[in-house]
Amino acid sequence: MTERIRQVISRNIWKENQVLRQILGICSALAVTNLMTNSLVMGVGLTFVTAFSSLTISLLRNLIPHRIRMIVQTLIIASYVIFVDIFIKANMPEISKSLGPYVALIITNCIIMGRAEAYAQKNPPIPSMLDGFFAGVGYTIVLLIIAFFREFLGFGTIFGYDISFASFELWTIMVMPPAAFFLIGTLIWITSNIFAPKNTKKSETGRKG
Amino acid sequence: MKGGPVYTVIFMLVISAVFTLVLSLANAYYLPRIEENELLDDRRAVLYVFELDAEGGPEEVLELFENAVVSEMLADMEIYAHLDEDEQVLAYAVPFTGAGLWGTMRGYLGITPELDRITGLVFTEHNETPGLGARIDEREYLEQFRGLEITGELAYGPAGDDRLDAITGATSTSNAVLRILNNLIDRKIAELEVVLDD
Repeated sequence: MTERIRQVISRNIWKENQVLRQILGICSALAVTNLMTNSLVMGVGLTFVTAFSSLTISLLRNLIPHRIRMIVQTLIIASYVIFVDIFIKANMPEISKSLGPYVALIITNCIIMGRAEAYAQKNPPIPSMLDGFFAGVGYTIVLLIIAFFREFLGFGTIFGYDISFASFELWTIMVMPPAAFFLIGTLIWITSNIFAPKNTKKSETGRKG
Repeated sequence: MKGGPVYTVIFMLVISAVFTLVLSLANAYYLPRIEENELLDDRRAVLYVFELDAEGGPEEVLELFENAVVSEMLADMEIYAHLDEDEQVLAYAVPFTGAGLWGTMRGYLGITPELDRITGLVFTEHNETPGLGARIDEREYLEQFRGLEITGELAYGPAGDDRLDAITGATSTSNAVLRILNNLIDRKIAELEVVLDD
């Protein structure tokens, strides 16, 4: 199972994008995407946690008893998330305030445990870390795309900067979570169409984010 | 041995101990800085309700606070008082706590010594929806309260005070703010009035 870095990147960011193709991490994609700054910090936090928890789980993969592996994974993930939370509070108090409880909720993001279960458990440390890292990057990109439309149409700003040449009636709905449903739905529809001819089976259902 | 109950228990104990230790060390290392940030935030909030410059660097803020503000225990509350050069009280900052839409809101209400006019309002903690209710932190909303006379219940215009606008799309949060403030004025500020009269 040797995968080139390029394959890891294209698999995680495009072919098997966690949000658009695997429908994971949807809860946070709905919650934090009304501002681009928040989405970026959330994405960076998740990327860090996924990369390092995948690395740690991969390093310990031969030691972890199979029956309690999920508890151990949760413990490792939670430790990294708490660390990120403390770090942001100490060094970026403003952002910590605006993200509020969402940082702690990275723990519940299915992407991290998904990568741990699907990849880090049976692969060597460095590929696992890269896999986790690029899974996080793929998630961040989708969040930023959604946040771009929501912030632009809902607030008339991009990364908090006023876009003065664009004067139009702001869409309040874009600020609220339902807008993310429409946008994610549209993006999933577009990507599913692109991949549709290659897939013989219809898309799987029943997964949760 | 791997997979046996003894190994499983020992493994879990060891790994829990290791991760807890690492996190405790990180917490101990960052705690002073987190507390410093919190204190600074609190100081800035108090300066803001007194209409003083709260935007400066950490040292300026702490120095200004030191020179112009004293804390007093009045009516069972720790209240900050803004003093002029002759030690006359220019305004009080009364802390408040109340239920917002999603969680507890905390902040300060600045009020004149006669307790008849608001000098400023600020929130130090809340869990309102980012982009909607969380806009109570924006200057446009907070500045509306400056100089507002306390004649009866605070209410949004046009039914109430014409100068006071709620936030579009965040009705519950906007109403929660006024409920907390009216409650504060009815109870705590009334108690404060009694104490100050004595």
